[in-house]
Amino acid sequence: MNTQFVGQPIRRVDGRLKVTGGARYAADFNLDEHVYAVIVNATVGLGRIVSIDQAAATRLPGVIAVISHLNAPRLAYHPHKGAIDPATGERLHVLQGDQVRFYGQPVAVVVADTLDQAERAAAALSITYAAKRPAVDPSASDTTEIMAEASKGPKAYYPADTARGDADAALATAPVRIDAFYDTARENHNPMEPHATVARWDGDRVTLWSKTQFVVNEQAEIAAIFGIPTENVQVISPFVGGGFGTTLRTWSHVTIAALAARQVGRPVKLALTRKQMFFTTGHRPRSLQRVALGATPDGKLTSIVHEGRGETSRYEEFIEALTAGTGFMYSCPNVRTQYRIVPLDTGTPNHMRGPGEAQGMFALECAMDELSYELGIDPIELRRRNEPEIDESTGKPFSSRSLMPCYDRGAELFGWAQRNPAPRSMRDDREYVGMGCASATYPVLFSPTRARARLLADGTAEIEVAASDMGPGTYTSMTQVAADALGLPLDNVRFSLGRSDFPPAPPHGGSQTMASVGSAIRAACAAVLEAAARNREVRPIEAEGSAQRDPEVAARFSMHSFGAVFAEVGIDSDVGTIRVRRALGVYGAGRIVNPRLALSQCTGGMVGGIGMALMERTMLDARDGRLVNAHMADYLMPVNLDIDRLEAHFVDEEDPHVNPLGVKGLGEIALVGMAPAIANAIFHATGTRLRNLPISIENVLTA
Amino acid sequence: MKAAAAGYIRANDLPHAISLLEQSRGEARILAGGQSLIASLNLRLAGETALIDINGVAELSGIELVGEQLRIGALTRHRELASSDLVARHVPAIAQAAPLIAHAAIRNRGTIGGSLAYADPAAELPACMLALDAQIVVRGPAGERRVRAGDFFVDLFTTDLAEDEMIVAVEVPVAVAGERQATMELARRSGDYALAGIVLVDRPSGVRAAFFGVGPTPILATGAMAAIDRGASPDEAAALLEGDLQPLDDVHAPAAVRLHLARVLLRRALAATRS
Amino acid sequence: MSDTAQSFPTRVDISLTVNGEPVDARVDVSRHLVDFLRLDLGLTGAHAGCEHGVCGACTLQVDGEIVRGCLMLAAQLDGAEVWTVEGLTETGALADLQAAFVERNALQCGFCTPGMLFAAADILAQGGQPSRVAIREHISGNYCRCTGYEAVVDAIETVAGARARGEEVSA
Repeated sequence: MNTQFVGQPIRRVDGRLKVTGGARYAADFNLDEHVYAVIVNATVGLGRIVSIDQAAATRLPGVIAVISHLNAPRLAYHPHKGAIDPATGERLHVLQGDQVRFYGQPVAVVVADTLDQAERAAAALSITYAAKRPAVDPSASDTTEIMAEASKGPKAYYPADTARGDADAALATAPVRIDAFYDTARENHNPMEPHATVARWDGDRVTLWSKTQFVVNEQAEIAAIFGIPTENVQVISPFVGGGFGTTLRTWSHVTIAALAARQVGRPVKLALTRKQMFFTTGHRPRSLQRVALGATPDGKLTSIVHEGRGETSRYEEFIEALTAGTGFMYSCPNVRTQYRIVPLDTGTPNHMRGPGEAQGMFALECAMDELSYELGIDPIELRRRNEPEIDESTGKPFSSRSLMPCYDRGAELFGWAQRNPAPRSMRDDREYVGMGCASATYPVLFSPTRARARLLADGTAEIEVAASDMGPGTYTSMTQVAADALGLPLDNVRFSLGRSDFPPAPPHGGSQTMASVGSAIRAACAAVLEAAARNREVRPIEAEGSAQRDPEVAARFSMHSFGAVFAEVGIDSDVGTIRVRRALGVYGAGRIVNPRLALSQCTGGMVGGIGMALMERTMLDARDGRLVNAHMADYLMPVNLDIDRLEAHFVDEEDPHVNPLGVKGLGEIALVGMAPAIANAIFHATGTRLRNLPISIENVLTA
Repeated sequence: MKAAAAGYIRANDLPHAISLLEQSRGEARILAGGQSLIASLNLRLAGETALIDINGVAELSGIELVGEQLRIGALTRHRELASSDLVARHVPAIAQAAPLIAHAAIRNRGTIGGSLAYADPAAELPACMLALDAQIVVRGPAGERRVRAGDFFVDLFTTDLAEDEMIVAVEVPVAVAGERQATMELARRSGDYALAGIVLVDRPSGVRAAFFGVGPTPILATGAMAAIDRGASPDEAAALLEGDLQPLDDVHAPAAVRLHLARVLLRRALAATRS
Repeated sequence: MSDTAQSFPTRVDISLTVNGEPVDARVDVSRHLVDFLRLDLGLTGAHAGCEHGVCGACTLQVDGEIVRGCLMLAAQLDGAEVWTVEGLTETGALADLQAAFVERNALQCGFCTPGMLFAAADILAQGGQPSRVAIREHISGNYCRCTGYEAVVDAIETVAGARARGEEVSA
């Protein structure tokens, strides 16, 4: 493999556009004659719309249409399950009936000549409801946990139940035991760019300039909802202002934008407000977990029990990897996992950076830390003593696993040896200082992808894939891959993405873009070189290539990334404020295509983990399901001054099995492990074990 | 999301602003820096309202020493408070408070008059006025009157201002020889409103401690102040804050935490003024 | 609403300069500065992220000072001098910062970047070599959800040093 550019710290190719304001996000597209749509959201958490009085709104200047279930056309809503949609249940059918399933559900849309007019009219709409009390707290007695359909059976991707040995019996007889409950908060992705869609119909064809991490799914879904051929929908999404999973699915506002545009016969721009994003664009579900560990006095695990519950909506069964890491992280003869979901009167959750692993590994890694203190064994040493030879949950070897090299490198860089193992033993002036660590993991995913490569007469090349770049640097890394594959300088390669008429790519999530899209681009480049060699006259000449994982290799190996995360916290001894003084992550993630980009990607994920640990929590009012803090002043996430020294490092790891590029992905694993490392550091600083996230001043003070 | 503004007029001068206010019979609001007002209009928390923009009224700006008072015009921006030599020399509590307010871009627009009229219980400047025993200079159709800070802040987001009155300035007693001042706060996150804060004015004649974020208005901790003046230790004084303050449980923090933070702040502020 | 309040104009004429060019407009009084730029003038470099002054994505310059574009009304701009990232790119005033942001990869999705550049330029305008904490403090009102902030601080620190030494940094 030619690696002139792959592996090099190339500057991002879209940098200039982004620092000059030239990158165009969905809401930046202004069409001639477009009008504005504003969604009206339910102000009850469960019930039925009794009446909508739109007389006052309709009279306001500039108002073109008020659309609700009373007058909206029945949409086809043909069956459609995208790769990211919950396998069981049916998406919200928007403006199709009087039922209100959750607080903030769209119940009407107002279209007006200007945004100001649409806002005014939306506020003037008078809607009455017959409200019932919603169930929004998964720990409350009025909720019932269920086994998700898609998690039933041993072959399920996220099985409801797994077991090897007899974990409960082994736990009962274990010489040393830890058994504790963990609670992680509901979170919202909160990318900086709010969701937006600009929709324009030309006859029975619609073009959507839309924020999405999955353009071909948005295309297929809108086609299914409107009952039109897939090729009649064009989705354009050149830049995505952050996603973290929220734009993997096509949410109801996209349908509303298209519906409104069709109804009024004009292009429509619809941008969600920050508050509306909290209602209808998914969230990381709250988790309730129990982890019990049994061990011998010398620190060999004899039992792991991990029981987890997550939230879902009443109408879809959202499942994620809550207990997925537990089976293979450590060597242990007796392991039992259980995963259930709790249907609530909320919108459907969806994947948020490190989905499931972030919460599940929080519980497991805090429990491992608790066990280390119980045993009096250094937490890294405890993990070393339980390092497995193979993936014991499947019996397969790991394609590569660098957990202990990550710990060793991290311990050295972090100065772990300077840590006094006794809790509450380290102090710096007014601060109690604590150091903690935790493991991170995320599977190496791969999805079939196609790419197109075109050689032009001037010696340059164009590469096209319907991929996305929500920020990590898809534009740049794919340009590197193509330049190497074609033997061209970087400047001679132009990579385009974000159009549904390009060859299809998988969702830009699950840390699989580099592997999947990169491999397809290599294949396309090889194909076009071959075609060009056969036909030296015709230019431009183009070819497509595709990539999929060799099923035989996939069946032979267990493929995951691993990492070790370290955090040092300072706790103000008087007031309990918690400061992350420094943090460091070391990752074994296969080949690093661009170290310059990888570094930011990882530190960004670590900040997300700091937010999860100390700040982020979406609060619901149990009386009516209202979101209490649905804006940025009250939904806290880290600002610059909350961060001090952050470092990310990579161990050399060659993995020939995962994919042709040998890359394992970074986006998700960078968040996983940070929260438990911080919680473990807080224990070390204070001697108090805090198992609910986010951990706040009052938890420290009242503990 | 659009500001719920129902109308807008730029006031040419102070009499014009007052006459607009009078004519609007309570349905218009003064637009000064707008950093809270426009935010609340954006969130549609305030309903549609007409706006009287006073940003062009030059006589509302400026900081000057008038006898034993520092007169600060209502339109003085937080940034100016933070950088003014007069403020730093004569009312250091305000100089310390200004940089704690939000972030640079907000401080460039936000004004002292706006902050006092908005009367957010977690805001720094109302507590400064209270601790410094400042007078709020208020003008309406009937003329000018002065309201002591202790009488000005009536309740949550509620002041003594009549609907046809506006703040034109504040008059703050300057620090006397030997006087020390300290403004401190604790927030969950940098730049956020404080969970609890203190403005301590430590005069040879007696101490004044005003707290913010621990009740519906800024609160003078009279019990603790009297104890300090009697020679009580900081710990003893801090113990009395439970009777002085009225913290509430809310989405940001439980009342008990706020009270605890207030106690710590009192000890720290005393340590700072008496070090 | 009373007659008096109704007599307050709902549209206002303004005359200002944007990026050095004169602009005359009649604006709805509920129009924000940032929407005026984005929707009426097509200058989409300033982004609307939260619309209540928290996130900083709409930060730009009015009369020489950074402000939140969502916390000023277009109606307030009569006589104002407004600069956006597009304009300061053309003048070259941000060139060294822009180059440093790209060099250090101090941006990912880029949505916060124009606002971040204005906040960065603002602290650099104070001169000298600010500490990392001072830089962090100054740009804490500009949220970034992607980069982990370190690279942003590095980039600003680098430019501060270069400017202090009188070095040219080209875009």
